[in-house]
Amino acid sequence: MNHEKSYSVPINPNEITPKHIYQTRRQFLKQMGVVGITALLASCAPNVGVPTDGPGLAPDEDLADNLTTYEAITGYCNFYEFTTNKEQVDENAQDFVTSPWSVMVDGMVENPKAFTMEEILANYTQEERIYRMRCVEGWSMVIPWVGFPLHQLLEDVVPTAEAKYVLFEAALVPDQMEGANSGLFPFPYLEGLRLDEAMHDLTILATGLYGESLPPQNGAPIRLVVPWKYGFKSIKSIVRISLVPDQPPTLWNTIAPQEYGFYANVNPNVDHPRWSQAERRIGETGRCETLFMNGYAEEVLSLYEGMNLTENF
Amino acid sequence: MESRKPRKINSKWGLIAANFLGLLPLGVLVWAFWRNQLGFNPVETALQRTGQIAVVFLLISLACTPIRRLFKWPILIKLRKIFGLYAALYAFTHFAVFAIWDYGLNLPLLWMEIQEKPFIFLGLTALIILLVLAATSFRYWQKKLGKGWRTLHRLVYVAAILILVHYFLAVKGDIFSLQGDYGAPLVAAIILVLLFLLRFPFIYRPL
Repeated sequence: MNHEKSYSVPINPNEITPKHIYQTRRQFLKQMGVVGITALLASCAPNVGVPTDGPGLAPDEDLADNLTTYEAITGYCNFYEFTTNKEQVDENAQDFVTSPWSVMVDGMVENPKAFTMEEILANYTQEERIYRMRCVEGWSMVIPWVGFPLHQLLEDVVPTAEAKYVLFEAALVPDQMEGANSGLFPFPYLEGLRLDEAMHDLTILATGLYGESLPPQNGAPIRLVVPWKYGFKSIKSIVRISLVPDQPPTLWNTIAPQEYGFYANVNPNVDHPRWSQAERRIGETGRCETLFMNGYAEEVLSLYEGMNLTENF
Repeated sequence: MESRKPRKINSKWGLIAANFLGLLPLGVLVWAFWRNQLGFNPVETALQRTGQIAVVFLLISLACTPIRRLFKWPILIKLRKIFGLYAALYAFTHFAVFAIWDYGLNLPLLWMEIQEKPFIFLGLTALIILLVLAATSFRYWQKKLGKGWRTLHRLVYVAAILILVHYFLAVKGDIFSLQGDYGAPLVAAIILVLLFLLRFPFIYRPL
């Protein structure tokens, strides 16, 4: 891999991760009592690590998942600005220019600022976070990200009292993105979070994976990762982060609100008209159970107290 | 009399070519599976590819009648049946990948998906139609059913529409605003509409 990029990530998780990854122990769970029938499904990932304060360490010794291979993570991606063919994105994205790069952070903040990537990498300690990634299409991966909690950056710009939501905008460079001109999608890609979701410690801005800088197809040079939400919330190649007072429009929610809610929390109890709520783990065979909040319910459920998560899907 | 001989040769090679064309994608698919070349999500690849191939053969089969009329190629009436049979074969393979490979024949789960997801229900309905048509496509049934055979086989138009709706619903986006991943199904829909139009005498006569 190319270590000579201008902002290589100073951590080598290859030394850390393997000892935490044990053979997958499939647990067959009685589940899905629909119309009085009990279906049997294996659980994909009962225990993928939740991060601790220290870099790269998962607290739980009982990890039950294998990391998805680097080849699969970088060879199978959704990045519609380049192409809708998941296995073609890596090729189409190779010439995407990601340096120099800066991220404008503005809106309802005391100190709006354009951060260069160099500043971001220098100011925020990069740590490893091993997260499950669940795509709404019904596949999933386990990815060792490198990044830092978004709240650190937001605290530095000081959101004002009016700031209630965070709007993210992805780069749109039509002459470098051959899928961006089809007219079938209202680019630029926009995503949003409620401010408290954005401030949650699990929410990170990722700058690398497997100890390397992010390749362009995975959202170089900087992307969002919100592990308890469907993958489309984790917007790639961010150029702007705006603090706003109202729930912002987001790409998929604009196109098909009946299918892609603003919250888009992973929730096997909310049916999707297209995709199964039993998932395929990339690199493994068969389908397995999708976990509520993608397995992070314990950490994030307090964000949604008193909310009906079926209506607010 | 003299024209008969060349036409027969023509028809023989036509049949060979059609069968070759029909089996080729299956061969490529099995080969790719064998060599582990179906990508990172082989089930998804196999599902998409068998579905797309089924659509292509169905469209080719539906194109036979208008083309035969326009260019007066009688052999196409035989090819129509062969391509139709391959459409049914790939549609069935598509279903088999879904039920066996993807869901491991987990019947309760399959039943739930069929009930919950309209596009699966529509696809299954279309498959049943295609299988009935395939089973009754042989001369024995053609004779036995008499006039009813023609009526029965007009169901292929229903199947084609169901399959197109199934295709549109299976890709990401919103079908009403046409915002989404609609490139391929849109092309298929345009061809299908064209093939339907070419069946109206007031359209094909002037051609």
